[in-house]
Amino acid sequence: LRTQAFEERAATGGDLLRRHAEAGGDRRLAALRFDPSDAALRLWDFLLTEEDRLREARRRGWKLVGAMKDLGTVPVMAFALPRTAAFYPDGAWWTPCLMEGRDRLFAAAESLGVDASFCPVRAMLGAFVTRDRFPLPDLLVCSVGAVCDDFSAIAQRVAAMGHPILWWEMPFRRAPERGETAVTLPGGARAPAGLVDIVRMELARVRDALADLAGARLDGARLARAIRCANAIRRQVRALRACVFRAPLAPLPALELQIAEMLLPHFCSDRDAAARVIADLLREARRRVRAGQGFGAAGDARLFWVNPVADLRAMALLDACGGRLCGTDFLFTHALDPIPETLPPLEALARSALADPMVGPADQRARRIAREMRRLGAEALVISRIPGASHCAHEGSRIAEIVHRGLDVPVVEIEVPSVLDPVAPALRTRLEALVETVRARRPSAARPRSRRTP
Amino acid sequence: VTGGKPRFWAGVDAGSRVIKAVIFDSAAGRVRAAGALDQGVDQAGLARGLLLSLLAETGLGRRDLGAVVATGYGRAAVVDADTTITEITCHARGVTHAHANAAAVIDIGGQDSKFVHLDGRGRVRDFSMNDRCAAGTGRFLEIVAGRLGTPLSALGAMAAAADRPAAISSMCAVFAETEIVGLLAAQERPENIVAGVLDAIASRVAAMAGRKPAGTVYFTGGVALVDGMAQALERALGQPVTVACDPRMTGAVGAALLAAEGARKSPAAGGGSGLAARHGG
Repeated sequence: LRTQAFEERAATGGDLLRRHAEAGGDRRLAALRFDPSDAALRLWDFLLTEEDRLREARRRGWKLVGAMKDLGTVPVMAFALPRTAAFYPDGAWWTPCLMEGRDRLFAAAESLGVDASFCPVRAMLGAFVTRDRFPLPDLLVCSVGAVCDDFSAIAQRVAAMGHPILWWEMPFRRAPERGETAVTLPGGARAPAGLVDIVRMELARVRDALADLAGARLDGARLARAIRCANAIRRQVRALRACVFRAPLAPLPALELQIAEMLLPHFCSDRDAAARVIADLLREARRRVRAGQGFGAAGDARLFWVNPVADLRAMALLDACGGRLCGTDFLFTHALDPIPETLPPLEALARSALADPMVGPADQRARRIAREMRRLGAEALVISRIPGASHCAHEGSRIAEIVHRGLDVPVVEIEVPSVLDPVAPALRTRLEALVETVRARRPSAARPRSRRTP
Repeated sequence: VTGGKPRFWAGVDAGSRVIKAVIFDSAAGRVRAAGALDQGVDQAGLARGLLLSLLAETGLGRRDLGAVVATGYGRAAVVDADTTITEITCHARGVTHAHANAAAVIDIGGQDSKFVHLDGRGRVRDFSMNDRCAAGTGRFLEIVAGRLGTPLSALGAMAAAADRPAAISSMCAVFAETEIVGLLAAQERPENIVAGVLDAIASRVAAMAGRKPAGTVYFTGGVALVDGMAQALERALGQPVTVACDPRMTGAVGAALLAAEGARKSPAAGGGSGLAARHGG
């Protein structure tokens, strides 16, 4: 399959990606290795046409909701309403990678005092300045509190530019105290019922604001239907992950899998189309598994990857170094878990939101990662730090420690900047060394084999 | 060729400052020839020239080489290599060849440093790398030597003459240099500054160690040749650190050993582009 990369098939609109690379100026696309299947090309096109969809929705009079610092709650609510679409302004953080940093987003953010000491999500602030990445939303909603300090600072700057934001508070998810009423959250964590109450009340404010915007009631029946739709997509993504992680040969490259997973929290502005794109991808992955096709080799190192990367090429590098994904935690594992359908909808959404790994102790996230690694037979762990992101400043070392102690597998911590060229050789060395180490540790290993650096 | 199998194998360690190469005689179980060159612009040409000079020195022809393995920061530029292996694996192999009891390897090179934990059988168990900041690398020593106007080779003697090592607390080489300028302005003895710098490098490397190795720690890389550095590492780690046999060549030796042990081209390697493959007849 890899030999077919770059050969877009004319029969399926082979110019889809060329259009973005040449007309759109997304020059880095020309250097990425793509999965050549129709399903994967549709995934890419869906990702890269989000702005077009948003502008078309605006033209048709739809209401646009910017769901900031949100990994799977407000979009579920927004898509419950007619003629309303949610999107993720923070998603602009991939733009510098795709545009080779030539689109001035970082420079625009820096001109407002938000420099490289902040997370790459600062590109979003630049997008609000340049106004050429997405249409200005009709409503901006942003979680604050136990989320990400530097993101809050960036969002405050957006608000100061004259874009009002509906802030909603996310409390820190602490363990229940003795005698305190507690509930079980999706994913298994326990939290005091009082915290769920706080989130539910906050989400009620968001619900009312969304209903006002859409001019329609956002009642329990609508929310319940939207939750069922979201759960259906979550099921598809879980099935896709299971297919990719368990197959003898990876039926999808790491890069495409990351992008597919990233559709989950916000549906890339179109929930129903996202469902179709993921269903296509799942069908293709299953077809390949049945046919014994895949990327890489059977002996590729089974790596578990933590956190999304700002420069997508890091995922392609993983494949090129002889690794394959056998598990991921891209910060929104709670968006993989089903939202409870037997509870009142706002209660269910509140429990789901509170299960966000980012708002709880790093140890809980680390233990879940360790459990998943054991279940999936991971041979090593890659922790990708997001430069400047306050929520993962120290989390990586805690995850490394707990996984190391529990599983005794090699762990590497890397940091992937928005444009990784300056660190590419060092990154390659770490990943290659990790793969060599995994192979050497296998019981049947003779001396390590290597692959020639392409 | 002995018994149909090649006898000589080459390892090239293309480091950021120096290229090292060895030819290993697998029948004798020892290095037949070794050499080093300063790194330069034409990395591929320099590596090839070094390898050819070693072949000439030993009276061997290209066809006598079983395979060439390249390692080090510039390994991808060694076009004559049959395959590449990271310096982490190569240093580990080079150390365990000479020191079977090794529990860990510290490699401090020109632009990065590594701490490699080994299992009981000489294989890499886990590793940490510092390649983001010069403060834990040989580059820091170069900066200090330049600032003090003294050759690198004199740093060890200077550190030995220190009576009270200066505290260098900055975590970044650039800020540390500023700190050194301040110490000089405060009339701190250069010997104490050098000793403080060795301690600062050692503490950064020790921070990468994680758990304490249960056994002997060996020290490789060009910085291992700086007198006093191993002692600084011992103080930082709280356990003995032994400078490996010929520490600058460890990576190249490991690469040659891995070549002899059957590191074969991967499917991604492309076909037969190595020096040995092309000239092996």
